[in-house]
Amino acid sequence: MDTRDTFRHNVLTSGHRACSGCGEAMAARMVVDLIGPDAIYVNATGCLQVFTTHNQQSAWQAPWIHSVFANAAAVASGVEAALRARGKDTPVVVQAGDGGTFDIGLQCLSGMIERGHDVLFVCYDNEAYMNTGVQRSSSTPHAVRTTTTPPGRLSEGKHHLKKDLISIIAAHQMPYAATATVAYFPDLKAKVEKAMRIKGPRFLHVLSPCPLGWDHDAALSVTVARLAVETGLFPLIEMEYGAVTGVMRLARQRPVEEYLKLQGRFKHLFADKEGAAEIRHLQALADANIRRYGLLDARTEWDTDRAVQAQRQGRGGYAVSPKETSL
Amino acid sequence: MNSLAVEPGSTVAYPTGDWRNQRPVYRDKWPPCGQTCPAEEDIQVWLGLASDRQWEAAWRALTERNPLPAVMGRVCYHPCERACNRTHLDGPVNIHGVERHLGDLALEHGWRHHLLTEQPQTQQVAVVGTGPAGLSCAFQLARRGYPVTLFDARSTPGGTLSSGIPGYRLPKSVLQGEIDAILALGIQLKLNTRIGVEIGADTLREEFAAVFLAVGALQPRTYPDDGYGGHSVMTGVDFLRRINDGERLSLPKHVAVIGGGNTAIDAARCARRLGAEVTVVCPQDPHGSHGGHPGAEMPASLDEVIQAEAEGVRLRYRVGVRRLVRSGAHLSGVEIARVDQIHDRHGRFNPVLFEGTEEFLPAGLAVFAIGQEVDWRGLEALVEPRASSVFIGGDAAGQPRFAATAVGSGYQAAMSIIAFLTGAPSQYRHHDKAEVTFRDIKPQYYPKQVRREGELMVASPGGFSERVAGLDGDAALVEAGRCLSCGVCFACDNCWHFCPDAAVIKQMGGYRIDYDYCKGCGICAAECPCGHIDMEREAG
Repeated sequence: MDTRDTFRHNVLTSGHRACSGCGEAMAARMVVDLIGPDAIYVNATGCLQVFTTHNQQSAWQAPWIHSVFANAAAVASGVEAALRARGKDTPVVVQAGDGGTFDIGLQCLSGMIERGHDVLFVCYDNEAYMNTGVQRSSSTPHAVRTTTTPPGRLSEGKHHLKKDLISIIAAHQMPYAATATVAYFPDLKAKVEKAMRIKGPRFLHVLSPCPLGWDHDAALSVTVARLAVETGLFPLIEMEYGAVTGVMRLARQRPVEEYLKLQGRFKHLFADKEGAAEIRHLQALADANIRRYGLLDARTEWDTDRAVQAQRQGRGGYAVSPKETSL
Repeated sequence: MNSLAVEPGSTVAYPTGDWRNQRPVYRDKWPPCGQTCPAEEDIQVWLGLASDRQWEAAWRALTERNPLPAVMGRVCYHPCERACNRTHLDGPVNIHGVERHLGDLALEHGWRHHLLTEQPQTQQVAVVGTGPAGLSCAFQLARRGYPVTLFDARSTPGGTLSSGIPGYRLPKSVLQGEIDAILALGIQLKLNTRIGVEIGADTLREEFAAVFLAVGALQPRTYPDDGYGGHSVMTGVDFLRRINDGERLSLPKHVAVIGGGNTAIDAARCARRLGAEVTVVCPQDPHGSHGGHPGAEMPASLDEVIQAEAEGVRLRYRVGVRRLVRSGAHLSGVEIARVDQIHDRHGRFNPVLFEGTEEFLPAGLAVFAIGQEVDWRGLEALVEPRASSVFIGGDAAGQPRFAATAVGSGYQAAMSIIAFLTGAPSQYRHHDKAEVTFRDIKPQYYPKQVRREGELMVASPGGFSERVAGLDGDAALVEAGRCLSCGVCFACDNCWHFCPDAAVIKQMGGYRIDYDYCKGCGICAAECPCGHIDMEREAG
């Protein structure tokens, strides 16, 4: 039992095999420490499952289960039903990557929501199948280079658009669905805590940069996530029963180039005329997001400046209950 | 908790630290404000305490180096604010406003300075001059248990702070309050005692184990030509001294003040308050015309110049006096001309006038404020040659002649004197840590916030009441909170939240890095708002 830190549980602790600067490890560590060790975590196949459970070692300091790629939401449904049958209200949390959510796990996720299971489903979205070697997923944005969408003479990277998953989720009329990133901890904290107060199916979509697959400097994971929001490419919103109930206003809109140029997966867009046209397309997608959710003129005090403001003596950390000193 | 999933076989048994080729290191640095402060105040520390509403602790941290915060908050030209990294974001922190607020709070609440030691020393120290250097030195020595005697030739303590700075910039009660707090440490004060007259220099050297000469630079520099002297001509030093001693001079309608320094501006504003039409004949260019190049721009503080102009003082730039124009003994004006060269090629002040640009400036009084020198008369036995027990500081030691420089000089002198008396090496340490520039700051973590200024109060004609109001408690709190804390951790938790590897451990009083697991990604350094974390190459 790792008890090095008295201010957070480290439910996902050191020694895991994630790459240096992993955005998914960062995101998962924030989310699971906000929820705490008294929960049952169900993991889909993906980077998170692979790098935290390796060679008979587990990085999890909480009950954790992995079955197969497609069925994490179904397993969680069963765990939740079993707990309910035994009169327990232990929280159940699913963690999956974009493959386990957008593609392979979508059917089970839809069923779990439709049946109304009291489960929080967290998707750590790094926009491709990173663990198996950066293959495109339906979450991969337009014009991205992956190993299965290589740019070249006939291609500017992935042709199709990123799947609008939050709209699919919202169409289920579920109690709570939200998007978040690692760059705005107070925002992520508020959303996790709100989700944990609500009963029924809940969904959290966390953008998690991947230095390997996105091909950016390992030190820039937070910066890249922040720019994804500030350009309008990844809007931070909250939905309740299908209606948008909260957005994080952008204090200013940044041009998409600022986000793209930090990442090697968009490098080909800066090489020629065709790439420049794709940048304009991406800018149009960002502008459309901003119009759709009113990101620049939402009537809210909560904006991208406020959410990062550094404060003396921290911005409020993790709920820490008395730890068990011995097992 | 279900232990089966965790033990045995935790990844904690697998140190990932050996993946690393660079490592983060927490390192305190010197913010530029402290680096440029002539009194070497640890400004960031007391701003941090003030932003936590720990006002008294902030005052104590501030007075470690400067026992005159209420005075300096008013009269110092705050080079700290010119260096402040926040300038590049939305405007420098109003450091002098917070300093003044802390000083005023101390006076209001009667906070007393604490002795640093209970053990009294026996060796007597004489401090000559009760200006900022003398007061600072006496304060530092007295806190460390030394019996100190302060000498001053004048009947009021404060040196130039009292004789040279007008009441509208520094009310006498504020100065007296801070001097009283310093004297309360048990310092003996002997006024009306000129060395060489009331007490001999030799006596001083024999009776005291060490002597600190902070006699200031009060001898006005004059033009060598006798044609510039005579009736209706005064020096800036004398003019200000008479006004500060309470004399209501009756002035002619027009007054010309010659010089571009703070003495000139002070004299001009005083003359204006006494009802005269005042023109400053300034040999240098105005502020901003040479990008702050010393020598080419007028040395007076910009704030003071702006206020002087607002009060109706006229300024003529890049002109010099060619001659005084008299009708009989009376002064009718000065003939001025454009200045070609200000300093000669040796860097000495040596203006050369353009012939053919002469102009007549009516003036019934000419005030020359063209520099001051040290008056060593009566002190020769101490300084020629200088005995090893004699130390010199403040304006008497040289340039630049700012009050805050004198305070810093007094601190250094006290450290040197203690080193001399004890035979131990000096405890004085110059700031030697790395400086933090705006490139090390992550501006996104500091939303823009408008700087709060002390209000300008309406100048009543002929009034010498204080011109600039202080910050109130709320504004001082906001200003202290605007500090970026350059290079010094303020426990924002960013590194701790963002570490993907649980290698940043939060503990009471800060954070530590667990190098067993740190993979060296550099996110903590990239997202540290204030540049407190450095990335270093791993050896090997």
